[in-house]
Amino acid sequence: MNTLIDRLAKLFSISDVVHQRPNLAFVTTPMENTIHLITHLRDRESFSLFVMLSCVDWIEDNQFQLTYVLNNPTEKIDVGIRCFINRDSATMESAHYLWKQVATYQRELKEMYGIDFPGSPRVDESFILEGWDNIPPMRRDFDTKKYSEETFFPRERPQSNDPAQYMKSKLYPDE
Amino acid sequence: MSFKDVLIPFKAWGNFFKEPVTLKNPMREAAPRYRGFHKNNVNECIGCGTCESICENEAIVMIPVDSVETKNGDSGLRPMVDYGRCCWCGLCVDVCTTNSLSLSNEYTWVAEDPEEMKYIPGVDKKPWDENEKGWKKPEGNFSYYPLERPHMQELHPEDRDHSFIEIVKGYSDEEALLEADRCVECGICTATCPAHMGIPEYIKAIRNKDVEEGLRIMYETNPLPEICGRICTHKCETVCSLGHRGEPISIRWLKRYIADQVPTSKYAEVLRQDSVEQNGKKVAIVGAGPAGLSAAYYLRQLGYSVTIFEKLIAAGGMMRYGIPEYRLPYDQIDKDVDYILAQGVDIKYNTEIGKDIAFEKLEQDFNAVYVATGLHSGRSTRVPGSDHAMVFQAIDLLRKITLGEPIEVAEKVVVIGGGNVAMDITRSMARLQKIKYGKVNVIATALESEDKMPADREEIVEAREENAVINPGWGPREIVVENNTVKGLKVVRCLSVFDETGRFNPSFDEADTNFFEADMVVESIGQGADLGFIPASYMEKLEKDPRGRIKVDPHTYQSSLEWLFMGGDIIEGPDVIHGVANGHKAAKGIDLLLNK
Repeated sequence: MNTLIDRLAKLFSISDVVHQRPNLAFVTTPMENTIHLITHLRDRESFSLFVMLSCVDWIEDNQFQLTYVLNNPTEKIDVGIRCFINRDSATMESAHYLWKQVATYQRELKEMYGIDFPGSPRVDESFILEGWDNIPPMRRDFDTKKYSEETFFPRERPQSNDPAQYMKSKLYPDE
Repeated sequence: MSFKDVLIPFKAWGNFFKEPVTLKNPMREAAPRYRGFHKNNVNECIGCGTCESICENEAIVMIPVDSVETKNGDSGLRPMVDYGRCCWCGLCVDVCTTNSLSLSNEYTWVAEDPEEMKYIPGVDKKPWDENEKGWKKPEGNFSYYPLERPHMQELHPEDRDHSFIEIVKGYSDEEALLEADRCVECGICTATCPAHMGIPEYIKAIRNKDVEEGLRIMYETNPLPEICGRICTHKCETVCSLGHRGEPISIRWLKRYIADQVPTSKYAEVLRQDSVEQNGKKVAIVGAGPAGLSAAYYLRQLGYSVTIFEKLIAAGGMMRYGIPEYRLPYDQIDKDVDYILAQGVDIKYNTEIGKDIAFEKLEQDFNAVYVATGLHSGRSTRVPGSDHAMVFQAIDLLRKITLGEPIEVAEKVVVIGGGNVAMDITRSMARLQKIKYGKVNVIATALESEDKMPADREEIVEAREENAVINPGWGPREIVVENNTVKGLKVVRCLSVFDETGRFNPSFDEADTNFFEADMVVESIGQGADLGFIPASYMEKLEKDPRGRIKVDPHTYQSSLEWLFMGGDIIEGPDVIHGVANGHKAAKGIDLLLNK
């Protein structure tokens, strides 16, 4: 794995290398280089399998983190490529032409986070949220509780007790 | 539509003759770490409610349980889980402060009524209670919060053993934030604090980087935060929920951190105490110790004219005249005291009731009197030789050290006692020996075995770091005097201090003896109150308990004489925070009397 990272470092701008396990490492690369790096890994380093594409909303930094996980079935190793994109203009170059199934992940990310992948097949079609009329639900500024209270039938929650207040009522009610 | 499309629906009928693919009950067992229904060890659970706080789905509520008593360190509440809301994420298990909560790997439960699908794990019996599989917090130090507190910087023993400079340096901003960040805000500590300080609230203020808000919260219940931030007995920390798996939150040091951050010059602005309307009533307080100062502060907030009569030249009582400066610097006492006095409290120093002013005069001139004179009379072991001139009371020596008066410092000293006062005089003598002789030769001995010594553990450790010898588990038999010179202390092995009924009744092994060489012996086995300033005519009217102690109302500290209130160490404690608490309660009690 170390030699792979060394080879990549000579060709691409990579940082924040995390050796999660002997057979799994993560690297971070600027978004402009990400698809080049993924293509290189597929075509030159035998990472022929696309495992998944996921996203984290770092709302405090106004960024989305995209993580592409690839697998090299010969070496039985995985590598995750991370990149950060601006949260306000959430657009990323599509990788659907590298693996067909990437389009499905990108469609999901469009729906759940509002990240656009121009050119990706059916990217604007609903994925699972038919008729969704709110901000993308996986964005951290989406208020799940408020949405469910407004949308679904309310279910009363039993009365809870604050431990400190309850102890006061039991142990020193007059103070 | 093709012919094939027409035939397809009929193909399904072929499934009639196949083995069903649905699973029969009992279902197959889930994986060993599957997250199924909750279990809770109710004896280990303390009802801190952290599981409820972390649950994003509001699936947990804290419910009183008949079989669990509410007591210090245990709210008496237990979590009830609603499976209409639970998503089995396991965060409640991972955050649990006591490790009592876990998940079984059971995942099937059939009920007609969905409202049935909530229960109190460990209380409401379920088939999976004995299921050992499922999700538990990972072994080892896995934790959502650090299990250890930031290390407190202290003066190295070689740098402190020859001076009275403060040992503990206090937390930096970064350390205080780290420590405040560990607090889970359960509030279990609040009940145990005698003053019921808003501990989670002021710790939260540190997290919010708002120490001024922290100071305001502390002053609601304690006007001595600099002092208590240094020498409080911090019983709150003994019940801290984090203490079940790691080190409890450093509540005392965080209190000090807040008080240290706000300079005296900003107190008035920060505490924003508007001028209180004066009610024209006058209260006398005898003794400017923690209870007297606390009562004075809160009485001023209620509009009373307050006069404190203090026998000595400065305020603080045992805090100034009992606790050495290396634990509690005098300027920090002054910081708290000065703010109280700045509220308009009149203080008469060098004024002894019964000598300079008659007790009767207080009754005549004031609407109410609060007596909080503390325990300043040392008790003697009364063993043979204890009346020798080189046998001293710890409390007298500590007072003289504060006053700057010369005291005897012998080359070899033995201290009798295992409490904090004994450690204070042991460490003070060690310093004075180091200064005078360049070496330390002081032995502290106590009846109790080391694990039962009443002194704080850190006091014992630090005393040893300063080359004092702590040799507990011995009972004094005789202070050996030859040619009118103290030669040492003869002791016998103490087997137990209390009898089966819990009464002080030490037993000894007379065959197991020891001898500690000494030129000077210091007794520190406890202090008593000196209420000689209260005339016999009043004493006769005061109701006493069966043990002869003056009875007061536990909520108001009012004695059987309506105008006379008593508090501080003479009633409970002895420690500063009890004094602060009962001074506050007495202030409310006096207000109740004078405002009715």
